[in-house]
Amino acid sequence: MLALEFPPINEILRWKDLFPTFNKVALIGVAAALIAIVIFLLASNQDGLKAPKGVRNLAETIVEFIEEQIIMPTMGRQGLGWTPFLLSLFVFIYLCNVPGIIPIIYMPATARIAIPLVLSLLVWVVFIGVGFKHQGISYIKNSLFPPGVPGPLYILVAPIEFISTFLVRPFSLTVRLFANMLAGHILLVTFALLTEELVQGDSWILKPVGVLPFFMLMFITGFEVLVGFLQAYIFTILASVYIGGAAHPEH
Amino acid sequence: MLTAVVTRGAQIEVSFVTAEEGEGEHSIDCEFPVKDEQGHETGVCDTGPSPIAPEMKEVAWGAGAFIVMALLMRFFLYPRLKKGMDARYALIRGGHEQADAARASARAEVAEYESALATVKAEANDRVEAARQILEAERTARLTDVNADIAAKRDAANAEAAAAREAVRSDIAAAVVDVTSRTIELSIGRVPDASPIRSAVDEAMSAGVAQ
Repeated sequence: MLALEFPPINEILRWKDLFPTFNKVALIGVAAALIAIVIFLLASNQDGLKAPKGVRNLAETIVEFIEEQIIMPTMGRQGLGWTPFLLSLFVFIYLCNVPGIIPIIYMPATARIAIPLVLSLLVWVVFIGVGFKHQGISYIKNSLFPPGVPGPLYILVAPIEFISTFLVRPFSLTVRLFANMLAGHILLVTFALLTEELVQGDSWILKPVGVLPFFMLMFITGFEVLVGFLQAYIFTILASVYIGGAAHPEH
Repeated sequence: MLTAVVTRGAQIEVSFVTAEEGEGEHSIDCEFPVKDEQGHETGVCDTGPSPIAPEMKEVAWGAGAFIVMALLMRFFLYPRLKKGMDARYALIRGGHEQADAARASARAEVAEYESALATVKAEANDRVEAARQILEAERTARLTDVNADIAAKRDAANAEAAAAREAVRSDIAAAVVDVTSRTIELSIGRVPDASPIRSAVDEAMSAGVAQ
């Protein structure tokens, strides 16, 4: 019977600092921001009157995706002012996710909790700020005491609403992104190690069996492309929903 | 019994060992060794912070990178990109509107042309009908004239033919009377009375015509 003793998660996630206070996750985060800036800088420098192609086509596709698929369904036309923020959020998360399947790097920055936590807290601050800006102090009342609920039930509803709106939202945003990317990363490591050991091992009987984890590795690598995009999309659309809900409680 | 064991070290390794061999520690090289105050490795590996505990350096770099990017996106990159997109959309929209206007104008011209064409066709039909009626009347009139002319000519020809026929008949009758009279004269030796011969010849010729 075969068994796999897997190392602690830190063994596959922890990296030596490239220089003090700057490790691989920080490098990926900075690179993601720089790549996004360069892409949009190159795109914005091209003539906007001509038919978009190349990098401008890519940038405009992303912008339209954010506007049409995220903002319009959740906030409507009045939410288009949030496009730069949500665009930054989506692109940054996606570019932090993608390195998980890029050879040599093989590490999604979002598989560490720091970046998801930062982004979630930022979204949390933003949607609470938007709530106060649009509703004033009534935002607290509207959030904790939703209309249409019988009076006595507010004893139960108000704490639940407080926890779900002000505490669980940033927590769930963080954990959803972090846990999904971490799980994908662990799966990739697991099947890569199994393939390597089975194919390069001494046992001739087990060598052909190495094809199975290899195929799984290929499948999961492809799947991680989808997961990386999907997690960026989910995070962004939830941020949009939270901001839209804070700005327009009737929605 | 084989058991896969992943050993921890500078490079992650996995190997199959027997269950008996698999018991115990497998830590070999340590990427994060714990050092004592003099900086010497103590032989103990630093397991690092909890994987769910955020490291401040990652938080700081991640937040910094994102905020810089978001600010650039908000105040510089997105507005320039969007300005170009809006300009192009306006251009395309203007083109569409121009095309719509041109199409509407073309349709109006086509309608106008078709209306004019219908008017001209109706007018042409009227004229053709009038001309046809005029021609018909003229044709009928000419036909009548021609028929009358033909009838007159036919009557004249018939009269002329009758006159000629009568003249020929008289000549023939005279010749027959002469021949008959001469024959009788030769037979009887004297000139016969021409009247009975002429009557007999006229009667015979009339009977022949009647037959």
